[in-house]
Amino acid sequence: MITFFKSLSKNMKITLSILGILTVLFVIFALQILLMGLGYTDMDNNFAFGAWIIGDLVLVALGGGAFSTGFVLYIFRVEKLRPLINSTVLIGFMCYLFTFVFLLFDLGQPLRAWFGFAYPNWGKGVYPVSMLTEVFFCLSIYFIILLVELIPTVLEHKVLIQNRYIKTTAHIMHDFMWIMAAAGTFLSFFHQGSLGGGMWGVLFGKAVWYRPHFFFLAVVAAIAGGMSFMTMVPYVAGKILKKELVPMESFRTLTRMSGFMFIAYAVFRGYDLYSMAAYYVPMSGRSFLDLYGGYYGIWMVVVEIILLTGPLVLLNMGRFRNQEKLMITGASMGIGAIIMSKFSVLLHGFSAPNFPWKGFTSYFPTYQEWFITFGVLALMILIYMTFIKWFPLFPHTEEGGGHH
Amino acid sequence: MTVKDVKMNRRWGMAIDLDKCTGCGQCSLACNQENNMPIFEDDSDIPKRVSFMELMKVTNDRDAKFPDVKTAFIPKMCQMCEGNDPKNPNPPCVSVCPVVATDVGDDGVVSQIWSRCIGCRYCQTACPYEARVFNWWKPVYEGTFKKSLNPEVSVASRGTIVKCTFCSHIWKRERDRAVAEGKLNINDVTYKTACQSACPNNAIIFGDLNDPESEVAKLSKSKRALRLANAIDLESPEKQKEMRKVKHFSNPKVYYLTSQKWLKDMLNFRKN
Repeated sequence: MITFFKSLSKNMKITLSILGILTVLFVIFALQILLMGLGYTDMDNNFAFGAWIIGDLVLVALGGGAFSTGFVLYIFRVEKLRPLINSTVLIGFMCYLFTFVFLLFDLGQPLRAWFGFAYPNWGKGVYPVSMLTEVFFCLSIYFIILLVELIPTVLEHKVLIQNRYIKTTAHIMHDFMWIMAAAGTFLSFFHQGSLGGGMWGVLFGKAVWYRPHFFFLAVVAAIAGGMSFMTMVPYVAGKILKKELVPMESFRTLTRMSGFMFIAYAVFRGYDLYSMAAYYVPMSGRSFLDLYGGYYGIWMVVVEIILLTGPLVLLNMGRFRNQEKLMITGASMGIGAIIMSKFSVLLHGFSAPNFPWKGFTSYFPTYQEWFITFGVLALMILIYMTFIKWFPLFPHTEEGGGHH
Repeated sequence: MTVKDVKMNRRWGMAIDLDKCTGCGQCSLACNQENNMPIFEDDSDIPKRVSFMELMKVTNDRDAKFPDVKTAFIPKMCQMCEGNDPKNPNPPCVSVCPVVATDVGDDGVVSQIWSRCIGCRYCQTACPYEARVFNWWKPVYEGTFKKSLNPEVSVASRGTIVKCTFCSHIWKRERDRAVAEGKLNINDVTYKTACQSACPNNAIIFGDLNDPESEVAKLSKSKRALRLANAIDLESPEKQKEMRKVKHFSNPKVYYLTSQKWLKDMLNFRKN
């Protein structure tokens, strides 16, 4: 281990040290929160959810790129996306894994987490009553699907693949992956909608959240933002490793689809804001502008709209998309817009007062919350780096023994 | 006849006269004592404190000077919402619970089982009245306080949601007593909540909304009555019908009585 560390370049040593320290801090503060309670967070009876639920929503929405990319590749047979798929599945897998981790931290009684499966709030037939029950089941099943999709990548490790049986297994799994992709897409539609939108959209007591179509808006947001995210991660990894991990043509195909979905998102979001202002908020006896004041109010919506112009223009017009820098700018702005919308939903949703004599409240995570959030990001980067180093994440770059 | 043969007719509700309330805080104190409210190391941290009943001070204008300044106190507990249809109650908080830790009883009381709760706080998020509170810390009962705990209310552990249950344990006690005396009709039994018993001005009236002769039912129909932040009440009956088709409204069973216009406006987000 030590000799391996010594063999690395200087930059790599610094990066690994920072990530390692963050991981250690994550473990320390995770123990504190799990053993001594949620009192150490800045959440309170007013601001019932905080940094981790925002992390959940962002991870799930961006990890949603895994199902849409998989669907387009395996069902529509867009072979240009093939070089991206292993990386995409891995990112999706990590996003969901750490969504579970965040959700577990958010529970006051983590040891009772299994109650969600043992005593689910089901209605008649297959309809869950609680959106969170839907999240419990759907997220778990989809996580297992991503795990199955990831197995061939692990099996194709250069040592393992020497074994005849493992090679056959990996090959067969590849052939049948379209079933997983189709099932994954089916499931993803539900939990993308429920955790990202439906969970908040059904709260009819809260004027700031209630709108019946929020479930569907979140699905569109996840497809649009997710595809851009699945472009950005391998692109950034390629820049850092200074080699072409994925051909530019694959990126262009994916961002083009992402750009198209962003048009759908922009139209839907426009209708969403209009229906809130004109219909749903006044129905609860509140005025839209009053309700959208405060620390996290209308300015967040404005920033989201400004960021949205990026993907709308840069990803949809061929002459911009063909320029690498503009394409990446467009994708990043798109990701930014989706992240901003999640921030707006949660921060503003909890900040808005429930009584006329109360003001807007603010929230600033404690260092425990910061370190757990950053620790999770550090772990994700570490896992991704491990896969780049030892597993065939970008198999086409390895032909001719190009293992770095 | 056995106890099981009797159908429940009760629909518990409350009427609170804000013009009578002086904000003495006896109700809140009695509630804390009755329901084994936990004490945390730092209870001055109000947003994290656990209390079923919050006594909110409201003023018409913070900068107003005497005699224009007006103040009122609003005791707020769980409003026992019932959604659009009282026969098939749907409070905002019940349908969201992933583990069925909360439910509406046939008497209309929204219950909560501390030991089933996983502490996800989704119900707290859904509640428009901030009536649900979370045990952020481990409850501490120091010294003789432990001996004064109420054995009829279970002590909640850290990391669970707790809420007002209209002191339904008192009702159970009264029912047991009635059965012991040979009275098997559950509907013969009434009771008083801790906050009602403690109020020196008789501002809190608790009772059965289904019984037209009860005081609370009469008060709920009074012109002075209105419900907290339930804007649909201000609309015409036709409009209400239309609005109920679009979405559920909380429709609480707690009524607030006041003849002061500024307070009436304020309770429903209307500017005065």
